Amino acid sequence: MFSERELGRYRRQMMLFGEDGQERLKKANIFIAGAGGLGSPVSIYLAVAGVGKITIIDMDVVEETNLNRQILHYDRDIGRKKTASAEEKLRQLNPDIIINTIDVKIDASNAKKLVGNADGIVDAMDNYPTRYQLNEVAIVKKIPFFHGGIRGFYGQATTIIPGTTPCLKCIFPKAPPREEFPVIGATAGIIGTIQSNEVIKYLTGTGGLLTNRLFLWDGMQSRAEEIRIERNLSCEACSGMGKENKAGDKK
Amino acid sequence: MTVKIRFFAQFRELLGSDIVADVPAGTLLSSMIISVAKRNPDGYSALFDKNGAFHEFVILMKNGKRIDIADADKTVIIDGDEIAVFPPVAGG
Repeated sequence: MFSERELGRYRRQMMLFGEDGQERLKKANIFIAGAGGLGSPVSIYLAVAGVGKITIIDMDVVEETNLNRQILHYDRDIGRKKTASAEEKLRQLNPDIIINTIDVKIDASNAKKLVGNADGIVDAMDNYPTRYQLNEVAIVKKIPFFHGGIRGFYGQATTIIPGTTPCLKCIFPKAPPREEFPVIGATAGIIGTIQSNEVIKYLTGTGGLLTNRLFLWDGMQSRAEEIRIERNLSCEACSGMGKENKAGDKK
Repeated sequence: MTVKIRFFAQFRELLGSDIVADVPAGTLLSSMIISVAKRNPDGYSALFDKNGAFHEFVILMKNGKRIDIADADKTVIIDGDEIAVFPPVAGG
């Protein structure tokens, strides 16, 4: 059931997927890994859409060099924990949802527990080793993994449904070297909103998903392209998955 | 014969986007990419290490099918092939 306020707030999108779709959003629990360039637009659009519970995780403090793209954080937040800054803004954007923040580094020892019983994981990370951890958790829990990556004016995104689509390791088996990457905020906005759009469609059962395709954004030429991608049958992460679900492997 | 190479992301900045290469029959995938990459030293070093091997993170596709970089010097290209070369974009 929705309050009068919620019915007003969500009226324009309930025209798209009805009260039933809105109810699915309200019941959903989405895990956003990172409150940076991608995490900002992802969390903002999921919060205003009414995703009932958003968990956002980040271990960093806001730095001046973040502010060209990390639109959850303001000049006054420099030196503050990103989780505290994110929580404040998201609560202001939508007081009717639960915002859960966790200030910790994601690693092999805690990734599965942190994700908990989330309905999906949004990849808003800035490095592949952590992405691979989350990819594995998504596979183990059989929940979707909404991948995004940005660099400069370029970005990529795909929606991973474990056991059905290629996983992150099928597509990118080896991590590139770490670097201080150049980036314009608009690239994070484009890729982050695609990820949010995927989450909303997945949760509401609306439209078709960005599955089995790698979306590639070339902001230098304003060209969007895609590459067909396939599962790697010898993938070290997901090759054991397929037609059947292993008992006791449920989230 | 002609083949098309599409570079993506930072590879595109260094080597161009859609390149049509005229190569002799029997050319190997790795040789063709090397010849194109050598047009720009920065582009070459973005794709290859000091020993001339592909960086392990480089992704190669031929006509939509993934080619393992270890197989690039065994893969013969034919007229009309379309090759995609891209890096994992890592920032977030």
